[in-house]
Amino acid sequence: MSGAITPQRPELVSEGVPSRRPRWLEIATSGDHKDVGRMLVAASLGFLTLGLLAFLLIRLQLIVPENTLIEPVTFNRLLSVMAATLVMLFALPLALGLFTYLVPLQVGARSLAFPRLANLGAWLYIVGGAVLYISFVYTPPEAGVNPLPPLSDTAFISNNGVDVWIAAVGLSALGFTLLALNLLVTLRKMRAPGLAWRRLPPFSFSAAVSSWILLVIGPAMLAALTMLEIDRHFGGVFFDPGEGGAPTYWQHLSWIFFTGCYLLMILPAAGAISEILPTFSRKPLISRRAVNASMAAIGAIGLLAWMQNMFTASIPVGWLYFAMLAALALIVPLGVLFVNWLGTLASGAIEMRAPMLFALGAISTLSIGLTAELAHAVVPVNWLLADTTDSTGATGYVLVGGSVLGGLAALHYWFPKMTGRLMGESQARISFWAIIAGVQLTFIPMFLAGLNGQPVDAYKYYEDSVYDGSGTGLEVVTDSFQSLDTYNLLTTIGAFILVTGIVLSLVNAVRSLSHGVRAGHDPWGGDTLEWLALSPPPPHNFDVVPDVRSDEPMRDIRDAVRERQAPAPPAKAESDEPVA
Amino acid sequence: MFGPESAHSPNADDLNALYWVLLAIAVALALAINGALIWLAMRYRTARGSEPRRLRSRRPAQVLVAGSFGVLALVLFVLGVVFTESASDVEPSGPDGLQASSQLTAQRDLSIPVDTEPLTITASGQQWLWRYEYPDGTYSYYELVVPVDTAVLVELDSTDVVHRWWVPGLGGKFDVVPNQVSRTWFKADTEGVYYGSSYQFSGASYAAMRTEVQVVSPTEYQAWLTQQADDIAAAQDFVQEELAIRGEPGTRSGAASVQPVGGEQ
Repeated sequence: MSGAITPQRPELVSEGVPSRRPRWLEIATSGDHKDVGRMLVAASLGFLTLGLLAFLLIRLQLIVPENTLIEPVTFNRLLSVMAATLVMLFALPLALGLFTYLVPLQVGARSLAFPRLANLGAWLYIVGGAVLYISFVYTPPEAGVNPLPPLSDTAFISNNGVDVWIAAVGLSALGFTLLALNLLVTLRKMRAPGLAWRRLPPFSFSAAVSSWILLVIGPAMLAALTMLEIDRHFGGVFFDPGEGGAPTYWQHLSWIFFTGCYLLMILPAAGAISEILPTFSRKPLISRRAVNASMAAIGAIGLLAWMQNMFTASIPVGWLYFAMLAALALIVPLGVLFVNWLGTLASGAIEMRAPMLFALGAISTLSIGLTAELAHAVVPVNWLLADTTDSTGATGYVLVGGSVLGGLAALHYWFPKMTGRLMGESQARISFWAIIAGVQLTFIPMFLAGLNGQPVDAYKYYEDSVYDGSGTGLEVVTDSFQSLDTYNLLTTIGAFILVTGIVLSLVNAVRSLSHGVRAGHDPWGGDTLEWLALSPPPPHNFDVVPDVRSDEPMRDIRDAVRERQAPAPPAKAESDEPVA
Repeated sequence: MFGPESAHSPNADDLNALYWVLLAIAVALALAINGALIWLAMRYRTARGSEPRRLRSRRPAQVLVAGSFGVLALVLFVLGVVFTESASDVEPSGPDGLQASSQLTAQRDLSIPVDTEPLTITASGQQWLWRYEYPDGTYSYYELVVPVDTAVLVELDSTDVVHRWWVPGLGGKFDVVPNQVSRTWFKADTEGVYYGSSYQFSGASYAAMRTEVQVVSPTEYQAWLTQQADDIAAAQDFVQEELAIRGEPGTRSGAASVQPVGGEQ
């Protein structure tokens, strides 16, 4: 086994051997990173559809004040399932699926380091997602976005909903940790000759940072989930305040995990954006070193800021300042990243194809979400804004900017590599503008409703007249909780536009599988190694693994091909020869 | 519309002041990034085929960018610390407030000057209502009645799950955790009604877990306290009589007997 992961391996490959099993079984049991990656991407987009459905039902309940459309308990179940779906079943596996598909191609490897481990990781996640949704035939989870003990203990929720949540999140987290481990070993041991860390493409670099984050947060969450399950069914008191345990332990452990998940909405998108901008501006990043260093810093500092979500908790004020310092320090790498992206666009030759459009939209949406989050990083302002719909709005901007727009940018960019066909350009444009309009209309009213005091996660809000001071004989001093009906109506309208936009892109992807324009091996003129392989790549990826001489290996290869062709007649125009 | 509830307590002043600073910085940053993005995308949009100059940045430029964002982070950090400390300093009651109304209590996170004697109220969260207990043992559900211009120390406590207490205009929001005391304070400057709510998901009827603070003059406050004590005594007598008629032993007393429907789990 140890010999199998060194770069020097026999160049003998066999393919085209007739398979004895049906095609779907071949893919489901495949150790080929491309099959696993496709499985992950397809499953994550499928779960996204379900999560969006739950989101729309929640928004329908909140369309008018004191709505009775959905029962409170049903609402809480939808809320719990929606949050788990969008983070655990969509954002993380979409990023990991793209990483699993592309990292071996980008580093010039023929496979992942542990092919079958990748398959196991993908199936753990898919089974976790199935557990969550099959629970709708008995009891889905209902303990909120993050099931804090004691509410999630059997004393308060005795049905098995919380156990479902634990199983679903636990299986997925375990799967993601295994996928991350696999990516890290692949990145460390199987890079093509000459592909030093400093030459690593930003997307692969963000895969490395994301994988390190998952190796930290995955085990922390698995430990927390195990403790919660012991508390619930095996007489444990880890989080039981009456028996010397503390609910705050759960908050720390779960927020380390969810803070990591938050970073995993940003970093993979940042990696993809940093590949797409140079390709469609026809010039390199102004500093790949600064971009990669920023992503590493975001991963390292970001995790230290987990207590930013606990500023209202009764923790010593010194720790609040530590978390505030870490959260504010994130301005530096994030700022450098944004400046580098803008600098890369400057004096470029920008070709506005669909991936570029989505990448620019991702930058715009992320910038709004992250600056909104900046206000939450400062303790006193956090005391005002935390747990109002303002925090939902800020997180929503980052989720849509990073995972949705960033994910769609990556999907449009690498779809021809994965399927051999381009995604429809005009549908992409309609989808893009619907998402951009929808995201503003959904989340800006949420900011305003939050400033007026609307609590997060609540199944209803009240009419303005409830707050007119009647019955007290006193005048109302504040104007909190006013105009919530207008804001929520706008948010619901925005949500439908946003979801329509996303679904249009998903439909476009499915349609393009069979109807898309056929793409060559390099439709965009990319500078990274995956564009050397055929589209879709053969099982062994590359006939010959090239030597890497710079951080733009495909550019070198194109130059070398052009040089050789210059004197000779254009006979062997399409040869994929490595740099001599 | 773009600001938080106007402040009616000194600590809310601190929170709001810093909010406007952060809003200005966040809006400026978002506008700068989006403006530059749109301008660059339109300015440098070209047809396929042209080859631009392959510009690379030099290290001093990157260090300058990182340094300026670092300065911004540092300034915000210092402001954050200063305003957190300021919001945690309990101010003494003003001349219009209730004078020498309560014993001085042990200090934890808040810094309470020796010469102030804040009115200490226990706010207890339970699924799905708020219970307030006053220094003389009187209690009320849903509404909290306090005198104007008086430093009120709120001890937050839960009997079941984690809740979070916030009344916009009267300071920040804080967790209410069982078996753990956290505190906040306010000094309301205007008589009238302030509405608040719970901000931590706590199960089925979480949305209904609202509250209201009635700020009245010190004399009205004293009158209300007497009236409330009388009402509670009358209600307890009634319950005892009912129990006597039904022949059940009157073992339950005090708070539990007049707890509204939907009280404790």
